[in-house]
Amino acid sequence: MSFRGKVAQGISDMFLVWRRELRKVFHDQGVLIFFILVPLVYPLLYALIYNYEVAREVPAVVVDDSGSSLSRQFARMVDGTPDVRIVARCADMGEARRMIGEGEAYGIIYFPSDFTDRLARGEQSQVSLFCDMSGLLYYKAMLLSATEVSLELNADIKVARAGGTTAEQDAVSAMPIEYEEVALFNPQNGFASFLIPAVLVLVIQQTLLLGIGLSVGTDRERNRFNDLVPISRHYNGTLRLVMGKAFAYFLVYAVVGIYVLCVVPWIFDLPRLAEPATFLAFMLPYVMACIFFSMALSVFVRNRETSMLMFVFTSVPLLFLSGISWPATAIPAFWRGFSWLFPSTFGIKGYVAINSMGATLDEVAVYYVALWVQAGVYFILTCVVYRWEIVSSRRHAIADYRRARNQSA
Amino acid sequence: MTVITGDTLARLFKVARRECRRLVSRPLYLFCMVIAPLFSYLLFTTMMDSGLPTDLPVGVVDQDNTSTTRMVIRNLDAFQQTRVVAHYPDFAAARRAVQRGDIYGFFYIPGGTTAKAMGAKQPKVSFYTNNTYLIAGSLLFRDMKMMGELASGAVARETLYAKGYTEAQAMAALQPIVIDTHPLNNPWLNYSVYLCNTLLPGVLMLLIFMVTAYSIAVEVKDGTADDLLAKSGDSIYVALAGKLLPQTLVFFLMAVFYNVYLYGYLHFPCNSGIGPMILASLLFVVASQAMGIFMVGVFPTLRLSLSFASLWGVISFSISGFTFPVMAMHPMFQALSNCFPLRHYFLIYVDQALNGYPMGYSWQSYLGLLLFMFLPFLVLRRLKHALKTYIYIP
Repeated sequence: MSFRGKVAQGISDMFLVWRRELRKVFHDQGVLIFFILVPLVYPLLYALIYNYEVAREVPAVVVDDSGSSLSRQFARMVDGTPDVRIVARCADMGEARRMIGEGEAYGIIYFPSDFTDRLARGEQSQVSLFCDMSGLLYYKAMLLSATEVSLELNADIKVARAGGTTAEQDAVSAMPIEYEEVALFNPQNGFASFLIPAVLVLVIQQTLLLGIGLSVGTDRERNRFNDLVPISRHYNGTLRLVMGKAFAYFLVYAVVGIYVLCVVPWIFDLPRLAEPATFLAFMLPYVMACIFFSMALSVFVRNRETSMLMFVFTSVPLLFLSGISWPATAIPAFWRGFSWLFPSTFGIKGYVAINSMGATLDEVAVYYVALWVQAGVYFILTCVVYRWEIVSSRRHAIADYRRARNQSA
Repeated sequence: MTVITGDTLARLFKVARRECRRLVSRPLYLFCMVIAPLFSYLLFTTMMDSGLPTDLPVGVVDQDNTSTTRMVIRNLDAFQQTRVVAHYPDFAAARRAVQRGDIYGFFYIPGGTTAKAMGAKQPKVSFYTNNTYLIAGSLLFRDMKMMGELASGAVARETLYAKGYTEAQAMAALQPIVIDTHPLNNPWLNYSVYLCNTLLPGVLMLLIFMVTAYSIAVEVKDGTADDLLAKSGDSIYVALAGKLLPQTLVFFLMAVFYNVYLYGYLHFPCNSGIGPMILASLLFVVASQAMGIFMVGVFPTLRLSLSFASLWGVISFSISGFTFPVMAMHPMFQALSNCFPLRHYFLIYVDQALNGYPMGYSWQSYLGLLLFMFLPFLVLRRLKHALKTYIYIP
């Protein structure tokens, strides 16, 4: 056959593989669950769980040994902040601790008996904060509210001490340099806005991994020799096989990806600062890297359902390895290197930068290039393992043919 | 009901032996029951080895560049949690660095700050944190807030020292009231303590769900369900008990392992002693297995029961409330959280190991775990029917 004929044949075979793979996807309930149902429902479920974004009105109790008007004002002001609610005033620490033990409160604000005396003497006075550490968000809410109130009261006290000056001078003596904190992105400090974008990106990789694994396991089970590749003239070339299949998955995930990464954030009003062009340009290598990564890994799947047992649990470690929760700079070098094996690591960081911080491709260049490199490496790896599978299935067929011939002879 | 006789015990033993053979026949079981949990234990604990992230990279935009502002920046660097890695000429450049992920936040000092402060004109400095990374953002927030206070106080303090104030007096004048925090039982704010205590059992639970559902449903697929029932004298009780007891043993060993690892080796707070935690782990393992039986009973096909197991297992991590409090969820999810064994285990851990309360405090959670063990009884008939009549459809 001429070179041109070969190419033409290859391309027509590729489209045949593509059509068959697409039909397989849409005729297999199991694959459909992963490719359609999970991406459709999971994000909704997550968004609903984290719907309220922040822990508001964390219940706390007050133990006031000072019984002064200032301590009462302090407690009232803490109660007035959105994050903390004072649910009771306890007579002593024992009672307060019992309330924490029974889960009725998560923190104690304690005013010592010399609270106002010390202030009167010009000494530094302490308010103690005891906090249940079962959830860090409780601690954070308590600490921030109490700090805020103490700063406000401090300013008042300092002004009162300075005495008899104009309002502007008051401000200056309270605080010679004013400072402000600005949350650059995710200004409400929301839990959903922080976690869900990362989960969405991970869903794409994990469902591809599971769906492709399932599909490959099915192919093997249907095959007489448990081989991945059927014996057929059309399945002879590695490239046409790999590209035909990948193209089928890509088509499905072009739609699924847009739903998961654009429509879901829109439904739940999560951050979406992405430029459409930037977003699409970034998603292209991510989806490709995920597809080839999944195809390369899928050769390990021997049975239809085993992909689920092997891959589902990895979602939790992968989320942590991405550095979205535990800061990437604090992850030991070994695990950081390990995390580079997975498209999700770069995908999450890049998507979060683009979508939650409005970054352009320039700013996510590192992740963008890394994803292309992964797509390339995993593509080559997929070709190698498929080549190997083609050869081994051919070998099985030949052995079988010989056996049959020997028997008839 | 089957009366337990010597004969039943003999059959139970036979089924258990059959199951042991099945478990060692496929590397898949070794992977899911031993390798995957061990790998996760190791990954989470070593990843968060430092407990509290240190040296988070931050940037500085110092458009004033005087000895005072340089001192302020040096102070910022001295905080344990932050490390000044770069100086940027202006706001836009620093913002881009945040987007690139080079830094988690930056300090912005506009030109003329020192002069204004000396002239009592109250200049303003700002710090910007990236709360897209919630943990890093919160940690920076704390340091930077303190830094802001110090920067503000630095000028006033110099004046007070000049007037002959001692350091204590100066601090009392600048900050009349201070907050003194006591994070109960985790005073180091150790994130590893906060997360690993629930992450490790969570991963184990997910794998228990999957292995339980798989090992039962795969009998239908392999066409060995008849053999299983025959060996157990046509009793679903004997069949399930014999099948799952060997697994209980392996999973319980894995649970004991993480308990010893966390509380014995890593010395995480365990104020109740390890006993209650081992008991809770045993209940937790059996509750998870019961949940697995329930899943395969409701959907006796491999595909659906494993999908159910994955869904329930993965959602557990969010709904058990160890990262985002259940209290802050929609009331529907608050109620639903009771249907997850991990939620009860987490509550027991908080009461017992973390806070050291007596076990009576958490009776509801123990009861919750025990209730899971009744779930299989709801689906036994259906499961038996499925084992006898179902034909595997891919």
